[in-house]
Amino acid sequence: MAVITADGLSKAFGSRLAVEGLRFEVGKGEVFGFLGPNGAGKSTTIRLLMGLYHPTAGRATVLGLDPVSDAAAVHRRTGYLPGELALHPRLTGAQLVNYAARARGLTDRSFAGELAERFEVTLDRPVRTLSKGNRQKIGIMLAVMHQPEMLILDEPTSGLDPLMQDEFERLVREFAAGGGTVFLSSHELDQVQRVADRVAIIRDGRLAVTDTVDGLRASAPRTIEFRFAGPADPAWFSALPGVRVRGTGPRQVTLAVRGPVAPVLRVAAAHDVADLTARPADLDELFLAYYRRDAAKEPADAR
Amino acid sequence: MRAEVTLLDLRLRRRSLLGYTAGMALYTLVVVALYPQFKNSVSLDQLTRHGSAVAALFGATGTLTSPAGWLSANIYANFLPLIMLLITIGYGAACIAGQDEEGTLSLTAALPLTRTSILVQKTASLVVQAIVLGVVTMICVAVGRGSGLNITPADLAGITIAITLAGIDFGLLALSIGCLTGSRGTAIGITAAVAAASYLISSLAPVIHWLRPARYASLLYWSVGGNQLTSGISVSSAVVLAAAGAALLAVAWYGFRRLDLH
Repeated sequence: MAVITADGLSKAFGSRLAVEGLRFEVGKGEVFGFLGPNGAGKSTTIRLLMGLYHPTAGRATVLGLDPVSDAAAVHRRTGYLPGELALHPRLTGAQLVNYAARARGLTDRSFAGELAERFEVTLDRPVRTLSKGNRQKIGIMLAVMHQPEMLILDEPTSGLDPLMQDEFERLVREFAAGGGTVFLSSHELDQVQRVADRVAIIRDGRLAVTDTVDGLRASAPRTIEFRFAGPADPAWFSALPGVRVRGTGPRQVTLAVRGPVAPVLRVAAAHDVADLTARPADLDELFLAYYRRDAAKEPADAR
Repeated sequence: MRAEVTLLDLRLRRRSLLGYTAGMALYTLVVVALYPQFKNSVSLDQLTRHGSAVAALFGATGTLTSPAGWLSANIYANFLPLIMLLITIGYGAACIAGQDEEGTLSLTAALPLTRTSILVQKTASLVVQAIVLGVVTMICVAVGRGSGLNITPADLAGITIAITLAGIDFGLLALSIGCLTGSRGTAIGITAAVAAASYLISSLAPVIHWLRPARYASLLYWSVGGNQLTSGISVSSAVVLAAAGAALLAVAWYGFRRLDLH
């Protein structure tokens, strides 16, 4: 059963289209990674799913409900961490947690206590005296403490140190293992491939691709590096389909290869190869490739 | 009825509300204490005798040495409305548009509360703040009965209700402009301009004849522009002030339900 659906979801601000025609589904218990560069429309999509924004066209459902007209019901069952978390600077973490807990009718605070301990949350000082990372921990606590069915997290680990990032990723995996659904945006591919089952890549407000992490990896380009006995010329390879020259040296060529490797090897064999290293599929390269591919499709955008 | 948002906002405004209210109380006590020095001053009454426009600009019309004239010219026609509007317009513009611009509203907006509930709770916070200022001022004036400032309790309660309602109305105007535009600056700017115009119309209408018909458009006329200190709040004034508040709340509701929150 789909917990989140987007069907032609679009949002315009004046004449500027922030997101356009988004179509995806997220199933129960799934961790869905939403990837894209800054300004691609990640936060806009998340605010549409939270019912904070009103869609200009299309529709979304969350937990089978309309996120705008049933906002209170959706929010009761959802934890939300905003992208640019802003907390009342004079209040302490404890005051904010009390506020949210009372408004949610949360009487059992034992899980909130566990979270505070686990993430070493500073609760007794005004928010304005805390570092960005320590504020973010309060944000994570506010999103998770009522043990919702679904988490919508916008750049959740921004500002967290690596130890806390690990802890957070563990929390996400536990949450999903318990049947919870996670929609998580990030511009950090590494994190998404560690925790997400499926990934969507958004660029300029449109989905470039939606696939499983394994599926993406299968279609991701391999990196092949040749060292030659004599001078090397990248032009030998640049005309081959599915091949992009990533780097060159006087006797060296590094290629990103998508698709069959045989034509590359045939060309290389003709030029006295001294050494060859091949690295497995690289999602970073794939991520960038989607951008370039879209840019090539739309020359007006290429500048 | 939930009150978490009301209580949170009152906590956030606590310092400014305490500061304004303490200042207003102190000022009121001084005005009250000075009354015996001025109640027989003939020169003071000459200031307004011939319908002076300058005196009217400061909210002073009619006799200044009567208890009602003294309180009106020093507190109810000018200083109290000013402080009241600083509190209510400031909060009205900040509580939705301002908090949304800061990003702090997202915490509340993600809670299981309908937008209607959020708006009602914020309106309740506005009402509480206006009542605190109005009632504290009223108590300080009542203390002045000892210094010969004899105002009937009914009249004092009447003007307090009138000024509190006007404060709430202007707060709701700022709130509704904030909900329609999402901009705290626009809400404060437009509401302050409307309040300034209302004040000028209400205070100058008694001495500038061509302005008289316009006074019905001024919420401050319905609040402090008549003789509320000697005859209390009229039914028509109360109805106009309450109806304006209800209409503005409806506009705010319309705007807030359509507002994109960040």
